[in-house]
Amino acid sequence: MSREAILKAVKKNKPEVLPLPEIDESAFQEDIDVVKTFKDNLALVGGQVFEITTDAIDAKIKEQYPNKSTIVATTTKSNLGNVEIDKNTDPHTLEHIDLAIVEGELGVSENGAIWITANNSLVRALPFITNDLVIILDKRNICLHMLEAYDNIAKRDRDFGVFISGPSKTADIEQCLVVGAHGAMSLTVLLV
Amino acid sequence: MGHAQKATEFNKDEAKVNWHDKALWYVREKRDKSAHNVQGWEYLRQLGSGIKANVLSNLDKYLIQFETNAKNNGIQVHWASNAEEHNTIINSILEKHNAKKVVKSKSMLTEECHLNPFLESKGIEVVDTDLGERIVQLAEEPPSHIVLPAIHKTKEDVDVLFQEHLNTKPSGGNPEYLVGEARKHLRDKFLNADVAITGVNFAVADTGGVVVCTNEGNADMGVHLAKAHIACMGIEKIIPQEKHLGVFLRLLARSATGQPITTYSSHFNKAEEGKEMHIVIVDNGRTEQLSREDFRASLHCIRCGACMNTCPIYRRSGGHSYDYTIPGPIGSILSPGKDLKKHSSLPFASTLCGSCSNVCPVKINIHEQLYKWRQIIVQEEKQPIVKKSILKTAGVVLSKPKLYKMAGKSARFALKHAPRFMIYNKLNAWGKARDLPEVKHESFDEWYKKRRKNE
Repeated sequence: MSREAILKAVKKNKPEVLPLPEIDESAFQEDIDVVKTFKDNLALVGGQVFEITTDAIDAKIKEQYPNKSTIVATTTKSNLGNVEIDKNTDPHTLEHIDLAIVEGELGVSENGAIWITANNSLVRALPFITNDLVIILDKRNICLHMLEAYDNIAKRDRDFGVFISGPSKTADIEQCLVVGAHGAMSLTVLLV
Repeated sequence: MGHAQKATEFNKDEAKVNWHDKALWYVREKRDKSAHNVQGWEYLRQLGSGIKANVLSNLDKYLIQFETNAKNNGIQVHWASNAEEHNTIINSILEKHNAKKVVKSKSMLTEECHLNPFLESKGIEVVDTDLGERIVQLAEEPPSHIVLPAIHKTKEDVDVLFQEHLNTKPSGGNPEYLVGEARKHLRDKFLNADVAITGVNFAVADTGGVVVCTNEGNADMGVHLAKAHIACMGIEKIIPQEKHLGVFLRLLARSATGQPITTYSSHFNKAEEGKEMHIVIVDNGRTEQLSREDFRASLHCIRCGACMNTCPIYRRSGGHSYDYTIPGPIGSILSPGKDLKKHSSLPFASTLCGSCSNVCPVKINIHEQLYKWRQIIVQEEKQPIVKKSILKTAGVVLSKPKLYKMAGKSARFALKHAPRFMIYNKLNAWGKARDLPEVKHESFDEWYKKRRKNE
């Protein structure tokens, strides 16, 4: 009933149709090194980033996170995982995961964000509930800005996806920036 | 109590006001720096404004399209004309799941609808999980800013509050320690919640999905652990196409805090297997605002808070002085539409400097709307007698050049020679907290004529 009332009121009260603007993406074009800008922006939002070769992934992770005991890896690019999960894993059982290693689909140069889907993390809660997070990203998959990013992910199965830009953080106590609110306490991105 | 009286209260603690003022101005500066880094920023604002204007002009069709697509993805869509319906719908979903524990991420809409007290009266535990919102919830206060809910609290205030409610040790207000304790406390809430409630930053008509932005990850911690997700949105949250997120996500965080994007921008299109997702679409006065030609652009708002951070009045009066869910300049143009009498002082809580309009990422003409509300309010609401008679006299004097000159002369004479108590009295609002500028012995007109003669 409210549905009809709301739609009727909108119809009655809305202005004459105004055109939907065309987006001229050339206005945002910049001739920059997207990988370098991505790395700079990721540092700005509190993440750390290393450009390495695929065979050096596990060594790098061990170096950065030497004391992790429960590790989930949802990618075949790392062999460090010691807790197996699948799509049906109860997310509550991930409460004590120390480190999650997942692959990212796409990086965005302008803000250091990385697109992660439910397919990448198997369990949606994983990249949030883990204490620390490692994302492996192919550096050829870094685009300039968000408009380009949405073009890139337009043809996907839409269930759940998230742009992650840095570790979780808050400035809610007197504007002091504290890294590690409810999500991952740290984020390390490995560009391969 | 009007805005001015409440602002007076806030101004009693001068050191705190100064801190509040500077802290928000710092956020404004971060916004500038961040915006200037973006190639085509002004064009981006133009697009944001244009897309939102199109949305309002076609809103019924977009809402239907959104609903159809969301339903095709298995999402249950509900419609609420007002706050009461919104709360009742949510309660019935909770009853269906036999839910006793609810975690909620930031949603100004649920604040507007007073959802928490409603659910609490039904015996349900509702925990706000954004740290700032949790702080004000524990303090039993409303948020004072839409992005920085606890900006009015010092770290020492938070320390005392957490000692009382979370059994923390006195830390003298150590932010790392306090955040760490809040993380533990809220992790327990996330793990034991039955249902998660979130707001909606953007609802995409052509996909039927919603996007929620947080820095803390609290929306995701709630949603992915609970068995059902309820997302609450005002009708104006619709955007036509997913690619338009590419415009709005570029604008939102930069305008809000100066970050290039929030840490998490989560896209919810389908519930996880075995779980439920609900969306509640709410009017609660929005269609009425849509009918007001002069004020409908206020519905473009994407709730970034930039107008608050830049406003010289907001920074020095605090969010609570507005006594409305959305404070600051944008709240002052939204609130009179809800209750003209109750909020009639808010459009006057502005210098009309226009800074709010300049920073608004979707180019709402906020200061012009403030001025327009004033025109309506002086017609419809009784004004204080002093203000009325002074303005009437000023109107007469300003319309007669000779009278104006004489008044100027005698005022200059009086200000120079009259005793202090005669000048700094109740009628002189300007002189309450400061001295008047030094009086020159000639008027601008006289000075200008003399200057021309000497040329």
